Amino acid sequence: MSRAKKTWRMATDRLVDIFALLARYEKGGASEGSLCLVAAEITELSGAGIALSSDSNLMTSMGTTTGPATELMDIEITLREGPCTDACRGEDAVEDIDLLRGSTPRWVVYTPQAIAVGARAVFGFPVRIGAVRLGALSLYRDKRGALTYEQASDGYLMASVIGRAILAMQAGASGNALATELEREATFDFAIHQAAGILAIQGFTDVGSALVLLRTHAFATNTPISTLATRVIAHQTSYDSKSAMWSEETS
Amino acid sequence: MRIDESGAAASLNRQSPSEGQEGAMTRESLLVATLVELADNLVDNFDVIDVLTLLCDRAVKSVDVNAAGVMLTAPGGELQYLASSSDSMRILELFQIQANEGPCVDCVRDGLPIINVELTSPDERWPRFSPRAIELGFHSVHCLPMRLRGRTIGALNLFRNEMGTLNDEDVIIAQGMADVSTIAILQHRSSLDATTLNDQLSRALNSRIIIEQAKGMVSESTQCTMDEAFERLRAHARNHNLGLTVVATSIVDGTLTSKDLDQPRTNSGTTSSS
Repeated sequence: MSRAKKTWRMATDRLVDIFALLARYEKGGASEGSLCLVAAEITELSGAGIALSSDSNLMTSMGTTTGPATELMDIEITLREGPCTDACRGEDAVEDIDLLRGSTPRWVVYTPQAIAVGARAVFGFPVRIGAVRLGALSLYRDKRGALTYEQASDGYLMASVIGRAILAMQAGASGNALATELEREATFDFAIHQAAGILAIQGFTDVGSALVLLRTHAFATNTPISTLATRVIAHQTSYDSKSAMWSEETS
Repeated sequence: MRIDESGAAASLNRQSPSEGQEGAMTRESLLVATLVELADNLVDNFDVIDVLTLLCDRAVKSVDVNAAGVMLTAPGGELQYLASSSDSMRILELFQIQANEGPCVDCVRDGLPIINVELTSPDERWPRFSPRAIELGFHSVHCLPMRLRGRTIGALNLFRNEMGTLNDEDVIIAQGMADVSTIAILQHRSSLDATTLNDQLSRALNSRIIIEQAKGMVSESTQCTMDEAFERLRAHARNHNLGLTVVATSIVDGTLTSKDLDQPRTNSGTTSSS
């Protein structure tokens, strides 16, 4: 049987591309928007921004590429409408592939302002980990047109990398050195999600905070997060919310 | 690829032909019952993980195999676990992802079915996967691609305890089940542009993560195993005619508490693994 690779790209290859690019931007000192620079470059679009969402549906900017992307993010945060806003709240990616088309724009106030700063097509990808909503990745292009399969796929892949980056930063990782942190655990296995559920109950908290708790303890003890998760599931490691202390089963 | 909603057997209420009586059914009647039940599920606002878990259970009963599982390619190409009929299948699916080696990895990469491959130890083709599979009791493997417009979006894994071959009929049935899995993942989308197809893949995978988060919560607050937690989520979804993911989301966001979940019937015919 043929072992030729055909069109299928190994995900690890694509992730390696992403981490290598991120490391390069971080080394170059582009700390503010390294993830955004990578997102724009990997999807071959004009610019990118990352929005964080809170429970109260308020968005804040976590960074953008320079130029129109910054203005687009400001417009969305002020108006509370646009692709990023919709992606924060919804299930699927959001797009308007031709802002100039038609007389009834998808976003009444946002669209003309987005056109004014130079966007012709805009996209929003939800950033989430299971039921935990963290925000959205916003992308724009200065020409109209739909995304190819690979671009849409890269948008989602980038959104998942950003999800893990947000967790890492909430757990205390430096925003300037994410590449090495993320590369260490490229795939989140299911043990992590089960363990987050367990910790949410033990810690009387929500699953999002439980994920941060897990990540923080993994950092602090220099344990791979999947190893810690497996221990949590086996009840060899547990968390006590009253004392805010972790305990280890001694065997 | 569309299902005509009006033509399907939507009038059948969600009576499962399983629940203990399928032992007496011939394979043909079990297949027909499975197809009707799947059609019934697929016309509603169904839950993709629930349908695929059902499909894995039925694959084991209809085809001459001992375990079945579905893996999907995430946006970006990475394989991810979606459903399985047994614990050992789930372990091997997750192992293939980690090792980046095994029948499913080859099947998805090449887009070609893998039929009747006997496992040996040591094994040249899958040096890490084969010993692990043999350790868990499997001796031959099959894997059918889930294909959509020239793209392989995932695969149906079928493992057997015994050496020996699947007959042609079994292979046809198995490929049919892989095709049904593809339809389930597409849900009701008739137009599938690049973004929509990625939406559907991403949704299915995120559903699985929500279910894992909910399983962790249910198992911890009611002191049960992960598999029992899965069965409780599934039973509650069935009893209340809700999607499995909807129930799991309610657990995670706190609108439903674990102790309010229905208990699964102890004598249920399902043996699926979470």
